[in-house]
Amino acid sequence: MTAVTSAAVRPRRVPAARVAWVTWRQHRAALAGAIALLAVLGLYLLITGLFIHHAWAAVVACHPAPSAACYQLVEQFNQQYYGTQQGSVVSSGINAQTVPFLLLAVPILLGVFTGAPVLARELESGTFRFAWTQACGRVRWAVVRLGVLAVALTVLTFAFSQLFGWYFSPFFAEGKTTKFPMQLFGNLGVDFAAWTLLAFTAAAFLGVVIRRTVAAMASALAGCTVLDVATMMALRQHYAAPLTASGNNPPGGQSAWVLDQWLNRPDGQHVRLTDIPLSVQNSPDPSAFSNWLRTEHVTQWWSYLPGSDFWRFQLIEGGWLLGLSVLLIAASIWMVRRRAA
Amino acid sequence: MISTVIRMNIIETAGLGKRYGRTWALRDCTLAVPGGHVVALVGPNGAGKSTLLNMATGLATPTAGRVTVLGGVTAGSPAALDRIAFVTQDAPLYKNLPVTDMLRVARYLNLRWDASLAAARLSRLGIDQRKKVGALSGGQKAQLALTIALARRPDLLVLDEPLAALDPLARHDFMESVLSEVAAEGISVVLSSHVVAELDQVADYLIVLGRGKVLVSESVSSLVAAHGMGLEKLVLGYLRAGSTEVAA
Repeated sequence: MTAVTSAAVRPRRVPAARVAWVTWRQHRAALAGAIALLAVLGLYLLITGLFIHHAWAAVVACHPAPSAACYQLVEQFNQQYYGTQQGSVVSSGINAQTVPFLLLAVPILLGVFTGAPVLARELESGTFRFAWTQACGRVRWAVVRLGVLAVALTVLTFAFSQLFGWYFSPFFAEGKTTKFPMQLFGNLGVDFAAWTLLAFTAAAFLGVVIRRTVAAMASALAGCTVLDVATMMALRQHYAAPLTASGNNPPGGQSAWVLDQWLNRPDGQHVRLTDIPLSVQNSPDPSAFSNWLRTEHVTQWWSYLPGSDFWRFQLIEGGWLLGLSVLLIAASIWMVRRRAA
Repeated sequence: MISTVIRMNIIETAGLGKRYGRTWALRDCTLAVPGGHVVALVGPNGAGKSTLLNMATGLATPTAGRVTVLGGVTAGSPAALDRIAFVTQDAPLYKNLPVTDMLRVARYLNLRWDASLAAARLSRLGIDQRKKVGALSGGQKAQLALTIALARRPDLLVLDEPLAALDPLARHDFMESVLSEVAAEGISVVLSSHVVAELDQVADYLIVLGRGKVLVSESVSSLVAAHGMGLEKLVLGYLRAGSTEVAA
Protein backbone atom coordinates (compact mmCIF):
# COMPACT_ATOMS: atom_id res chain seq x y z
CA MET A 1 0.00 0.00 0.00
CA THR A 2 2.92 2.33 0.69
CA ALA A 3 3.93 1.92 -2.93
CA VAL A 4 0.75 3.60 -4.09
CA THR A 5 1.40 7.30 -4.65
CA SER A 6 -0.78 9.98 -3.12
CA ALA A 7 -1.93 10.89 -6.63
CA ALA A 8 -3.48 7.46 -6.95
CA VAL A 9 -5.18 7.68 -3.57
CA ARG A 10 -6.59 11.11 -4.32
CA PRO A 11 -6.92 11.30 -8.10
CA ARG A 12 -7.60 14.42 -10.10
CA ARG A 13 -11.24 15.28 -10.37
CA VAL A 14 -13.15 14.88 -13.60
CA PRO A 15 -13.41 18.38 -15.16
CA ALA A 16 -16.79 20.00 -14.49
CA ALA A 17 -17.02 21.13 -18.14
CA ARG A 18 -17.04 17.49 -19.24
CA VAL A 19 -19.76 16.55 -16.80
CA ALA A 20 -21.63 19.61 -18.06
CA TRP A 21 -21.36 18.26 -21.61
CA VAL A 22 -22.89 14.97 -20.46
CA THR A 23 -25.72 16.94 -18.82
CA TRP A 24 -26.23 18.95 -21.99
CA ARG A 25 -26.24 15.82 -24.18
CA GLN A 26 -28.83 14.10 -22.03
CA HIS A 27 -31.10 17.12 -21.58
CA ARG A 28 -30.69 19.00 -24.83
CA ALA A 29 -34.16 17.95 -26.02
CA ALA A 30 -35.76 19.30 -22.83
CA LEU A 31 -33.70 22.48 -23.04
CA ALA A 32 -34.57 22.88 -26.72
CA GLY A 33 -38.24 22.53 -25.79
CA ALA A 34 -37.91 25.19 -23.10
CA ILE A 35 -36.05 27.52 -25.46
CA ALA A 36 -38.62 26.93 -28.21
CA LEU A 37 -41.51 27.77 -25.89
CA LEU A 38 -39.83 30.93 -24.62
CA ALA A 39 -38.78 31.87 -28.16
CA VAL A 40 -42.34 31.60 -29.51
CA LEU A 41 -43.75 33.62 -26.60
CA GLY A 42 -40.81 36.03 -26.80
CA LEU A 43 -41.33 36.58 -30.51
CA TYR A 44 -44.97 37.45 -29.82
CA LEU A 45 -43.92 39.92 -27.11
CA LEU A 46 -41.24 41.40 -29.37
CA ILE A 47 -43.49 41.95 -32.38
CA THR A 48 -46.55 43.24 -30.51
CA GLY A 49 -44.17 45.16 -28.24
CA LEU A 50 -42.75 47.03 -31.24
CA PHE A 51 -46.25 48.02 -32.34
CA ILE A 52 -47.15 49.06 -28.79
CA HIS A 53 -44.00 51.17 -28.37
CA HIS A 54 -44.52 52.76 -31.78
CA ALA A 55 -48.12 53.71 -30.93
CA TRP A 56 -47.07 54.89 -27.46
CA ALA A 57 -44.38 57.11 -28.94
CA ALA A 58 -47.11 58.82 -30.98
CA VAL A 59 -49.19 59.29 -27.80
CA VAL A 60 -46.25 60.82 -25.95
CA ALA A 61 -45.40 63.10 -28.88
CA CYS A 62 -48.99 64.39 -29.19
CA HIS A 63 -49.18 68.13 -28.54
CA PRO A 64 -50.95 69.79 -26.80
CA ALA A 65 -51.67 66.85 -24.49
CA PRO A 66 -55.08 68.05 -23.14
CA SER A 67 -56.54 68.43 -26.66
CA ALA A 68 -59.39 66.28 -27.94
CA ALA A 69 -57.19 64.83 -30.66
CA CYS A 70 -54.63 63.61 -28.09
CA TYR A 71 -57.38 62.26 -25.84
CA GLN A 72 -58.67 60.34 -28.84
CA LEU A 73 -55.18 58.95 -29.47
CA VAL A 74 -54.84 57.67 -25.88
CA GLU A 75 -58.28 56.05 -26.04
CA GLN A 76 -57.37 54.36 -29.29
CA PHE A 77 -54.06 53.17 -27.86
CA ASN A 78 -55.73 51.63 -24.80
CA GLN A 79 -58.50 50.08 -26.83
CA GLN A 80 -56.22 48.54 -29.40
CA TYR A 81 -53.42 47.21 -27.20
CA TYR A 82 -54.76 47.02 -23.66
CA GLY A 83 -58.15 45.76 -24.75
CA THR A 84 -60.20 48.27 -22.78
CA GLN A 85 -63.48 49.22 -24.34
CA GLN A 86 -64.96 52.66 -23.87
CA GLY A 87 -66.23 52.92 -20.31
CA SER A 88 -65.38 49.35 -19.45
CA VAL A 89 -62.37 47.68 -17.87
CA VAL A 90 -63.39 44.19 -18.97
CA SER A 91 -61.27 42.95 -21.80
CA SER A 92 -61.41 40.01 -24.11
CA GLY A 93 -59.04 38.47 -26.61
CA ILE A 94 -55.25 38.33 -26.54
CA ASN A 95 -53.94 41.74 -25.50
CA ALA A 96 -51.67 43.36 -22.95
CA GLN A 97 -54.28 42.85 -20.25
CA THR A 98 -54.76 39.11 -20.77
CA VAL A 99 -51.25 38.06 -21.88
CA PRO A 100 -49.77 38.42 -18.34
CA PHE A 101 -52.37 35.96 -17.01
CA LEU A 102 -51.40 33.40 -19.63
CA LEU A 103 -47.69 33.81 -18.85
CA LEU A 104 -48.34 33.21 -15.16
CA ALA A 105 -48.44 29.43 -15.79
CA VAL A 106 -45.11 29.32 -17.64
CA PRO A 107 -42.51 29.28 -14.79
CA ILE A 108 -43.98 26.32 -12.91
CA LEU A 109 -44.71 24.27 -16.04
CA LEU A 110 -41.24 24.94 -17.45
CA GLY A 111 -39.47 24.16 -14.17
CA VAL A 112 -41.43 21.01 -13.43
CA PHE A 113 -41.07 19.47 -16.89
CA THR A 114 -37.32 20.06 -17.06
CA GLY A 115 -36.64 19.23 -13.41
CA ALA A 116 -38.50 15.97 -12.89
CA PRO A 117 -36.45 13.74 -15.26
CA VAL A 118 -33.01 14.98 -14.13
CA LEU A 119 -32.60 12.37 -11.39
CA ALA A 120 -35.82 10.32 -11.60
CA ARG A 121 -35.17 9.03 -15.12
CA GLU A 122 -31.77 7.63 -14.10
CA LEU A 123 -33.34 5.91 -11.11
CA GLU A 124 -36.32 4.42 -12.93
CA SER A 125 -34.32 3.21 -15.93
CA GLY A 126 -31.45 1.83 -13.82
CA THR A 127 -28.81 3.91 -15.61
CA PHE A 128 -27.77 5.42 -12.28
CA ARG A 129 -25.80 2.16 -11.82
CA PHE A 130 -23.70 3.23 -14.79
CA ALA A 131 -23.52 6.92 -13.92
CA TRP A 132 -22.63 6.46 -10.25
CA THR A 133 -19.81 3.97 -10.80
CA GLN A 134 -17.71 6.16 -13.12
CA ALA A 135 -14.62 8.01 -11.86
CA CYS A 136 -16.61 11.25 -11.65
CA GLY A 137 -18.55 10.02 -8.64
CA ARG A 138 -22.21 10.49 -7.93
CA VAL A 139 -22.00 13.68 -5.87
CA ARG A 140 -20.02 15.64 -8.46
CA TRP A 141 -22.29 14.20 -11.14
CA ALA A 142 -25.39 15.45 -9.30
CA VAL A 143 -23.90 18.85 -8.39
CA VAL A 144 -22.88 19.68 -11.97
CA ARG A 145 -26.07 18.29 -13.47
CA LEU A 146 -28.41 20.21 -11.16
CA GLY A 147 -26.22 23.32 -11.24
CA VAL A 148 -25.90 23.56 -15.02
CA LEU A 149 -29.60 23.09 -15.67
CA ALA A 150 -30.69 25.39 -12.83
CA VAL A 151 -28.42 28.20 -14.06
CA ALA A 152 -29.45 27.71 -17.71
CA LEU A 153 -33.16 27.83 -16.86
CA THR A 154 -32.76 30.82 -14.56
CA VAL A 155 -30.83 32.83 -17.15
CA LEU A 156 -33.32 31.98 -19.91
CA THR A 157 -36.40 32.85 -17.89
CA PHE A 158 -34.82 36.00 -16.45
CA ALA A 159 -34.05 37.23 -19.96
CA PHE A 160 -37.62 36.42 -21.00
CA SER A 161 -39.18 38.35 -18.13
CA GLN A 162 -37.01 41.39 -18.96
CA LEU A 163 -38.51 41.25 -22.45
CA PHE A 164 -41.95 41.17 -20.87
CA GLY A 165 -41.05 44.22 -18.75
CA TRP A 166 -40.11 46.12 -21.90
CA TYR A 167 -43.27 44.99 -23.71
CA PHE A 168 -45.51 46.17 -20.88
CA SER A 169 -43.71 49.39 -19.89
CA PRO A 170 -45.97 51.81 -21.90
CA PHE A 171 -48.97 50.74 -19.84
CA PHE A 172 -47.18 51.59 -16.60
CA ALA A 173 -46.28 54.97 -18.12
CA GLU A 174 -49.90 55.46 -19.14
CA GLY A 175 -50.97 54.68 -15.56
CA LYS A 176 -53.15 51.72 -16.44
CA THR A 177 -51.97 49.71 -13.48
CA THR A 178 -49.37 49.36 -10.73
CA LYS A 179 -46.69 46.67 -10.85
CA PHE A 180 -48.24 44.89 -7.86
CA PRO A 181 -51.16 42.87 -9.31
CA MET A 182 -50.24 39.19 -9.26
CA GLN A 183 -50.31 38.73 -13.03
CA LEU A 184 -47.74 41.53 -13.43
CA PHE A 185 -45.62 41.03 -10.31
CA GLY A 186 -45.00 37.39 -11.26
CA ASN A 187 -43.80 38.29 -14.77
CA LEU A 188 -41.58 41.20 -13.81
CA GLY A 189 -38.20 41.63 -12.12
CA VAL A 190 -36.75 38.41 -10.70
CA ASP A 191 -40.02 36.69 -9.79
CA PHE A 192 -40.53 34.82 -13.07
CA ALA A 193 -37.04 33.29 -12.96
CA ALA A 194 -37.23 32.57 -9.23
CA TRP A 195 -40.45 30.57 -9.54
CA THR A 196 -38.99 28.63 -12.47
CA LEU A 197 -35.95 27.78 -10.35
CA LEU A 198 -38.11 26.66 -7.45
CA ALA A 199 -40.28 24.44 -9.68
CA PHE A 200 -37.14 22.92 -11.24
CA THR A 201 -35.46 22.12 -7.92
CA ALA A 202 -38.69 20.85 -6.33
CA ALA A 203 -39.31 18.49 -9.26
CA ALA A 204 -35.71 17.26 -9.21
CA PHE A 205 -35.89 16.63 -5.46
CA LEU A 206 -39.23 14.82 -5.67
CA GLY A 207 -37.74 12.79 -8.54
CA VAL A 208 -34.98 11.39 -6.36
CA VAL A 209 -37.46 10.74 -3.53
CA ILE A 210 -40.23 9.10 -5.59
CA ARG A 211 -37.94 7.60 -8.28
CA ARG A 212 -40.66 8.08 -10.93
CA THR A 213 -40.55 10.90 -13.50
CA VAL A 214 -44.28 11.28 -14.08
CA ALA A 215 -45.17 11.06 -10.39
CA ALA A 216 -42.46 13.63 -9.60
CA MET A 217 -43.89 15.96 -12.27
CA ALA A 218 -47.44 15.64 -10.96
CA SER A 219 -46.53 16.14 -7.30
CA ALA A 220 -44.17 19.06 -8.03
CA LEU A 221 -46.81 20.68 -10.24
CA ALA A 222 -49.42 20.39 -7.50
CA GLY A 223 -47.09 21.52 -4.71
CA CYS A 224 -45.67 24.52 -6.56
CA THR A 225 -49.09 25.65 -7.77
CA VAL A 226 -50.49 25.58 -4.23
CA LEU A 227 -47.48 27.52 -2.95
CA ASP A 228 -47.70 30.05 -5.79
CA VAL A 229 -51.41 30.69 -5.30
CA ALA A 230 -50.96 30.97 -1.52
CA THR A 231 -48.13 33.45 -2.08
CA MET A 232 -50.18 35.57 -4.47
CA MET A 233 -53.34 35.52 -2.36
CA ALA A 234 -52.15 35.65 1.21
CA LEU A 235 -48.39 35.97 1.68
CA ARG A 236 -47.07 38.65 -0.65
CA GLN A 237 -48.91 41.62 0.90
CA HIS A 238 -47.26 40.89 4.26
CA TYR A 239 -43.66 41.42 3.05
CA ALA A 240 -43.82 44.96 4.48
CA ALA A 241 -46.16 46.84 6.81
CA PRO A 242 -48.46 49.01 4.69
CA LEU A 243 -48.53 52.78 5.12
CA THR A 244 -51.70 54.63 6.03
CA ALA A 245 -52.75 58.02 4.75
CA SER A 246 -55.89 60.14 4.72
CA GLY A 247 -57.28 62.15 1.84
CA ASN A 248 -59.86 62.15 -0.88
CA ASN A 249 -57.59 60.57 -3.45
CA PRO A 250 -55.55 57.34 -3.34
CA PRO A 251 -52.09 58.14 -1.94
CA GLY A 252 -48.74 57.37 -3.48
CA GLY A 253 -49.69 58.22 -7.04
CA GLN A 254 -50.21 55.74 -9.85
CA SER A 255 -47.62 53.20 -8.76
CA ALA A 256 -48.92 52.53 -5.21
CA TRP A 257 -50.78 49.38 -4.26
CA VAL A 258 -53.96 50.25 -2.29
CA LEU A 259 -54.76 47.40 0.09
CA ASP A 260 -57.71 48.86 2.00
CA GLN A 261 -59.74 52.02 2.52
CA TRP A 262 -62.18 53.06 5.25
CA LEU A 263 -64.05 56.07 6.66
CA ASN A 264 -63.73 57.49 10.19
CA ARG A 265 -65.50 60.21 12.12
CA PRO A 266 -63.35 62.67 14.17
CA ASP A 267 -64.00 60.62 17.36
CA GLY A 268 -62.56 57.58 15.61
CA GLN A 269 -65.93 55.96 15.01
CA HIS A 270 -66.01 53.80 11.91
CA VAL A 271 -68.43 54.72 9.12
CA ARG A 272 -70.05 51.80 7.36
CA LEU A 273 -71.19 51.95 3.77
CA THR A 274 -74.81 51.76 4.98
CA ASP A 275 -74.24 54.95 7.01
CA ILE A 276 -73.87 56.95 3.83
CA PRO A 277 -77.26 58.34 2.71
CA LEU A 278 -78.63 56.82 -0.46
CA SER A 279 -79.04 60.28 -1.94
CA VAL A 280 -75.25 60.66 -1.77
CA GLN A 281 -74.49 57.15 -2.98
CA ASN A 282 -76.80 57.48 -5.99
CA SER A 283 -76.03 61.09 -6.81
CA PRO A 284 -74.96 61.72 -10.42
CA ASP A 285 -72.71 64.54 -9.17
CA PRO A 286 -69.19 63.10 -8.74
CA SER A 287 -68.38 65.64 -6.01
CA ALA A 288 -71.44 64.71 -3.90
CA PHE A 289 -69.44 62.12 -1.95
CA SER A 290 -66.55 64.46 -1.11
CA ASN A 291 -69.01 67.19 -0.18
CA TRP A 292 -70.77 64.81 2.19
CA LEU A 293 -67.43 63.80 3.74
CA ARG A 294 -66.62 67.45 4.40
CA THR A 295 -69.99 68.42 5.92
CA GLU A 296 -70.05 65.28 8.12
CA HIS A 297 -66.34 65.76 9.10
CA VAL A 298 -65.63 62.21 7.95
CA THR A 299 -62.06 61.37 6.93
CA GLN A 300 -61.22 58.85 4.24
CA TRP A 301 -58.27 56.58 5.17
CA TRP A 302 -56.11 54.48 2.95
CA SER A 303 -53.80 51.58 3.60
CA TYR A 304 -51.26 51.22 0.80
CA LEU A 305 -47.82 50.14 -0.32
CA PRO A 306 -45.80 52.80 -2.16
CA GLY A 307 -44.56 51.97 -5.64
CA SER A 308 -41.00 52.02 -4.33
CA ASP A 309 -41.85 48.82 -2.43
CA PHE A 310 -42.03 46.92 -5.72
CA TRP A 311 -38.31 46.11 -5.86
CA ARG A 312 -38.20 45.46 -2.15
CA PHE A 313 -40.99 42.91 -2.60
CA GLN A 314 -39.28 41.42 -5.65
CA LEU A 315 -36.07 40.91 -3.71
CA ILE A 316 -37.87 39.49 -0.65
CA GLU A 317 -39.77 36.96 -2.75
CA GLY A 318 -36.78 36.22 -4.98
CA GLY A 319 -34.69 35.77 -1.83
CA TRP A 320 -36.85 33.19 -0.12
CA LEU A 321 -37.46 31.35 -3.38
CA LEU A 322 -33.72 31.22 -4.02
CA GLY A 323 -33.08 30.04 -0.45
CA LEU A 324 -35.70 27.30 -0.76
CA SER A 325 -34.27 26.25 -4.14
CA VAL A 326 -30.74 25.98 -2.76
CA LEU A 327 -32.12 23.93 0.12
CA LEU A 328 -33.90 21.59 -2.33
CA ILE A 329 -30.71 21.16 -4.39
CA ALA A 330 -28.76 20.36 -1.23
CA ALA A 331 -31.43 17.87 -0.15
CA SER A 332 -31.36 16.24 -3.62
CA ILE A 333 -27.59 15.84 -3.48
CA TRP A 334 -27.85 14.42 0.02
CA MET A 335 -30.42 11.89 -1.23
CA VAL A 336 -28.20 10.93 -4.18
CA ARG A 337 -25.34 10.44 -1.75
CA ARG A 338 -27.19 8.12 0.58
CA ARG A 339 -29.39 6.37 -1.99
CA ALA A 340 -28.38 2.72 -2.25
CA ALA A 341 -28.67 0.56 -5.34
CA MET B 1 1.14 -1.09 -11.05
CA ILE B 2 0.03 -4.47 -12.36
CA SER B 3 2.37 -6.36 -10.03
CA THR B 4 1.04 -4.51 -6.99
CA VAL B 5 -2.53 -5.29 -8.00
CA ILE B 6 -1.74 -8.94 -8.39
CA ARG B 7 -0.31 -9.24 -4.91
CA MET B 8 -3.04 -7.30 -3.10
CA ASN B 9 -6.50 -8.31 -2.07
CA ILE B 10 -8.77 -6.63 -4.57
CA ILE B 11 -11.82 -7.01 -2.34
CA GLU B 12 -11.61 -7.47 1.39
CA THR B 13 -14.59 -7.58 3.72
CA ALA B 14 -14.95 -8.00 7.48
CA GLY B 15 -18.29 -8.77 9.08
CA LEU B 16 -19.95 -7.14 6.08
CA GLY B 17 -23.74 -7.00 6.15
CA LYS B 18 -26.52 -5.26 4.26
CA ARG B 19 -30.10 -5.01 5.32
CA TYR B 20 -32.92 -3.84 3.06
CA GLY B 21 -35.84 -3.02 5.33
CA ARG B 22 -36.06 -6.01 7.63
CA THR B 23 -34.34 -8.62 5.50
CA TRP B 24 -30.61 -9.13 5.43
CA ALA B 25 -29.38 -9.52 1.85
CA LEU B 26 -25.91 -10.31 3.14
CA ARG B 27 -24.83 -11.05 6.69
CA ASP B 28 -21.52 -11.30 8.49
CA CYS B 29 -19.51 -11.80 5.32
CA THR B 30 -15.75 -11.95 5.77
CA LEU B 31 -13.63 -12.69 2.73
CA ALA B 32 -10.52 -11.70 0.83
CA VAL B 33 -10.47 -11.83 -2.95
CA PRO B 34 -6.88 -12.03 -4.24
CA GLY B 35 -5.74 -9.94 -7.22
CA GLY B 36 -4.47 -11.22 -10.54
CA HIS B 37 -7.21 -13.77 -10.98
CA VAL B 38 -10.46 -14.24 -12.77
CA VAL B 39 -12.59 -14.84 -9.73
CA ALA B 40 -15.95 -16.51 -10.01
CA LEU B 41 -18.40 -15.51 -7.32
CA VAL B 42 -20.94 -18.31 -7.37
CA GLY B 43 -24.10 -18.97 -5.44
CA PRO B 44 -27.81 -19.50 -5.82
CA ASN B 45 -30.23 -16.62 -6.44
CA GLY B 46 -30.57 -14.54 -3.33
CA ALA B 47 -27.20 -15.57 -1.93
CA GLY B 48 -26.14 -11.92 -1.75
CA LYS B 49 -23.77 -11.81 -4.73
CA SER B 50 -25.12 -8.58 -6.22
CA THR B 51 -25.32 -6.99 -2.78
CA LEU B 52 -21.68 -7.82 -2.12
CA LEU B 53 -20.57 -6.43 -5.50
CA ASN B 54 -22.74 -3.31 -5.08
CA MET B 55 -21.00 -2.56 -1.79
CA ALA B 56 -17.56 -3.28 -3.24
CA THR B 57 -18.18 -0.80 -6.05
CA GLY B 58 -19.68 1.86 -3.78
CA LEU B 59 -23.17 1.63 -5.24
CA ALA B 60 -24.55 0.54 -1.87
CA THR B 61 -23.31 1.34 1.63
CA PRO B 62 -22.88 -1.41 4.25
CA THR B 63 -25.32 -1.71 7.12
CA ALA B 64 -22.68 -3.54 9.15
CA GLY B 65 -18.96 -4.29 8.87
CA ARG B 66 -16.57 -2.86 6.30
CA VAL B 67 -15.34 -3.38 2.78
CA THR B 68 -12.15 -2.19 1.11
CA VAL B 69 -10.86 -2.64 -2.42
CA LEU B 70 -7.53 -2.64 -4.26
CA GLY B 71 -5.50 -3.24 -1.10
CA GLY B 72 -7.18 -1.05 1.50
CA VAL B 73 -8.89 1.70 -0.51
CA THR B 74 -12.36 2.62 0.80
CA ALA B 75 -15.03 1.23 -1.50
CA GLY B 76 -16.82 3.99 -3.40
CA SER B 77 -14.08 6.57 -2.74
CA PRO B 78 -12.83 8.64 -5.70
CA ALA B 79 -9.67 6.52 -5.91
CA ALA B 80 -11.71 3.32 -5.97
CA LEU B 81 -14.21 4.62 -8.54
CA ASP B 82 -11.34 5.68 -10.79
CA ARG B 83 -9.75 2.22 -10.84
CA ILE B 84 -12.76 -0.10 -10.84
CA ALA B 85 -15.07 -0.70 -13.78
CA PHE B 86 -18.40 -2.24 -12.94
CA VAL B 87 -20.74 -3.81 -15.46
CA THR B 88 -23.99 -4.32 -13.61
CA GLN B 89 -26.72 -6.77 -14.37
CA ASP B 90 -28.58 -6.00 -17.63
CA ALA B 91 -25.85 -3.45 -18.46
CA PRO B 92 -27.99 -0.30 -18.15
CA LEU B 93 -26.78 2.28 -20.70
CA TYR B 94 -28.51 5.28 -22.24
CA LYS B 95 -30.82 3.72 -24.82
CA ASN B 96 -31.67 6.94 -26.61
CA LEU B 97 -28.05 7.88 -27.32
CA PRO B 98 -26.14 6.75 -30.41
CA VAL B 99 -23.19 4.48 -29.54
CA THR B 100 -20.71 7.23 -30.38
CA ASP B 101 -22.33 9.63 -27.89
CA MET B 102 -22.60 6.88 -25.26
CA LEU B 103 -18.84 6.43 -25.58
CA ARG B 104 -18.32 10.16 -25.23
CA VAL B 105 -20.49 10.25 -22.10
CA ALA B 106 -18.35 7.48 -20.58
CA ARG B 107 -15.14 9.23 -21.63
CA TYR B 108 -16.24 12.54 -20.07
CA LEU B 109 -17.26 10.91 -16.78
CA ASN B 110 -13.83 9.35 -16.35
CA LEU B 111 -10.22 10.40 -15.98
CA ARG B 112 -8.71 7.52 -17.91
CA TRP B 113 -10.04 6.62 -21.32
CA ASP B 114 -8.59 4.54 -24.14
CA ALA B 115 -10.52 5.76 -27.19
CA SER B 116 -8.58 3.60 -29.66
CA LEU B 117 -9.27 0.46 -27.63
CA ALA B 118 -13.00 1.24 -27.68
CA ALA B 119 -13.06 2.01 -31.41
CA ALA B 120 -11.02 -1.07 -32.32
CA ARG B 121 -13.14 -3.40 -30.21
CA LEU B 122 -16.43 -2.08 -31.58
CA SER B 123 -15.31 -2.35 -35.21
CA ARG B 124 -14.01 -5.87 -34.55
CA LEU B 125 -17.42 -6.76 -33.09
CA GLY B 126 -19.19 -5.15 -36.05
CA ILE B 127 -21.11 -2.68 -33.88
CA ASP B 128 -22.13 0.39 -35.88
CA GLN B 129 -21.37 3.46 -33.77
CA ARG B 130 -24.12 5.49 -35.45
CA LYS B 131 -26.76 3.10 -34.15
CA LYS B 132 -28.68 3.97 -31.02
CA VAL B 133 -27.83 1.90 -27.96
CA GLY B 134 -31.48 0.86 -27.70
CA ALA B 135 -31.34 -0.61 -31.22
CA LEU B 136 -28.49 -3.02 -30.41
CA SER B 137 -29.09 -6.72 -29.71
CA GLY B 138 -28.71 -8.03 -26.15
CA GLY B 139 -25.29 -9.47 -26.94
CA GLN B 140 -24.12 -6.24 -28.60
CA LYS B 141 -25.36 -4.21 -25.63
CA ALA B 142 -23.40 -6.40 -23.22
CA GLN B 143 -20.33 -6.10 -25.45
CA LEU B 144 -20.72 -2.32 -25.53
CA ALA B 145 -20.93 -2.20 -21.74
CA LEU B 146 -17.79 -4.37 -21.55
CA THR B 147 -16.03 -2.16 -24.11
CA ILE B 148 -16.78 0.94 -22.04
CA ALA B 149 -15.54 -0.82 -18.91
CA LEU B 150 -12.30 -1.90 -20.60
CA ALA B 151 -11.69 1.50 -22.21
CA ARG B 152 -11.57 2.92 -18.69
CA ARG B 153 -8.37 0.88 -18.24
CA PRO B 154 -9.40 -0.41 -14.84
CA ASP B 155 -7.25 -2.33 -12.36
CA LEU B 156 -10.32 -4.31 -11.40
CA LEU B 157 -13.21 -5.32 -13.62
CA VAL B 158 -16.39 -6.35 -11.82
CA LEU B 159 -19.12 -8.12 -13.76
CA ASP B 160 -22.43 -8.84 -12.06
CA GLU B 161 -24.31 -11.68 -13.77
CA PRO B 162 -22.95 -10.66 -17.17
CA LEU B 163 -24.27 -13.76 -18.87
CA ALA B 164 -27.79 -13.87 -17.46
CA ALA B 165 -29.51 -12.09 -20.34
CA LEU B 166 -27.41 -13.54 -23.17
CA ASP B 167 -28.02 -16.44 -25.56
CA PRO B 168 -25.41 -19.25 -25.64
CA LEU B 169 -23.43 -17.86 -28.58
CA ALA B 170 -23.35 -14.36 -27.08
CA ARG B 171 -22.27 -15.87 -23.75
CA HIS B 172 -19.38 -17.62 -25.41
CA ASP B 173 -18.29 -14.50 -27.32
CA PHE B 174 -18.60 -12.35 -24.21
CA MET B 175 -16.49 -14.61 -22.01
CA GLU B 176 -13.91 -14.95 -24.77
CA SER B 177 -13.70 -11.15 -24.93
CA VAL B 178 -13.23 -10.90 -21.18
CA LEU B 179 -10.50 -13.52 -21.17
CA SER B 180 -8.52 -12.10 -24.08
CA GLU B 181 -8.57 -8.60 -22.58
CA VAL B 182 -7.61 -9.87 -19.16
CA ALA B 183 -4.72 -11.83 -20.61
CA ALA B 184 -3.54 -8.79 -22.57
CA GLU B 185 -3.89 -6.21 -19.81
CA GLY B 186 -3.33 -8.25 -16.66
CA ILE B 187 -6.37 -6.85 -14.90
CA SER B 188 -8.17 -8.61 -12.10
CA VAL B 189 -11.72 -9.74 -12.72
CA VAL B 190 -14.54 -10.65 -10.38
CA LEU B 191 -17.66 -12.02 -11.98
CA SER B 192 -20.77 -13.32 -10.35
CA SER B 193 -23.03 -15.99 -11.72
CA HIS B 194 -25.64 -18.47 -10.66
CA VAL B 195 -24.89 -20.55 -13.71
CA VAL B 196 -21.79 -22.60 -13.04
CA ALA B 197 -21.49 -24.40 -16.38
CA GLU B 198 -20.06 -21.39 -18.28
CA LEU B 199 -17.43 -20.59 -15.69
CA ASP B 200 -15.54 -23.83 -16.11
CA GLN B 201 -13.15 -22.58 -18.77
CA VAL B 202 -12.92 -19.04 -17.41
CA ALA B 203 -12.37 -18.70 -13.70
CA ASP B 204 -9.16 -19.65 -11.94
CA TYR B 205 -10.36 -18.72 -8.46
CA LEU B 206 -13.66 -19.73 -6.90
CA ILE B 207 -15.75 -18.15 -4.15
CA VAL B 208 -18.98 -19.92 -3.29
CA LEU B 209 -21.55 -17.84 -1.45
CA GLY B 210 -24.58 -19.47 0.18
CA ARG B 211 -27.16 -17.48 2.13
CA GLY B 212 -24.76 -14.64 2.77
CA LYS B 213 -21.99 -16.94 3.99
CA VAL B 214 -18.71 -17.81 2.31
CA LEU B 215 -18.70 -21.58 1.75
CA VAL B 216 -15.38 -21.80 -0.09
CA SER B 217 -12.67 -19.44 -1.31
CA GLU B 218 -9.80 -21.09 -3.12
CA SER B 219 -8.00 -21.32 -6.45
CA VAL B 220 -9.67 -23.63 -8.95
CA SER B 221 -6.52 -25.61 -9.71
CA SER B 222 -5.91 -26.57 -6.09
CA LEU B 223 -9.58 -27.41 -5.60
CA VAL B 224 -9.67 -29.63 -8.65
CA ALA B 225 -6.38 -31.28 -7.65
CA ALA B 226 -7.62 -31.99 -4.14
CA HIS B 227 -11.04 -33.31 -5.10
CA GLY B 228 -10.43 -34.64 -8.60
CA MET B 229 -13.67 -33.44 -10.10
CA GLY B 230 -14.99 -30.69 -12.40
CA LEU B 231 -15.90 -27.20 -11.23
CA GLU B 232 -19.64 -27.68 -11.62
CA LYS B 233 -19.72 -30.81 -9.44
CA LEU B 234 -17.50 -29.13 -6.88
CA VAL B 235 -19.79 -26.09 -6.60
CA LEU B 236 -22.89 -28.25 -6.33
CA GLY B 237 -21.22 -30.24 -3.57
CA TYR B 238 -20.38 -27.10 -1.60
CA LEU B 239 -23.84 -25.63 -2.06
CA ARG B 240 -25.49 -28.89 -0.87
CA ALA B 241 -23.18 -29.07 2.13
CA GLY B 242 -23.88 -25.39 2.86
CA SER B 243 -27.64 -25.76 2.74
CA THR B 244 -27.66 -28.86 4.99
CA GLU B 245 -25.37 -27.00 7.38
CA VAL B 246 -27.80 -24.10 7.51
CA ALA B 247 -30.77 -26.47 7.85
CA ALA B 248 -29.03 -28.36 10.67
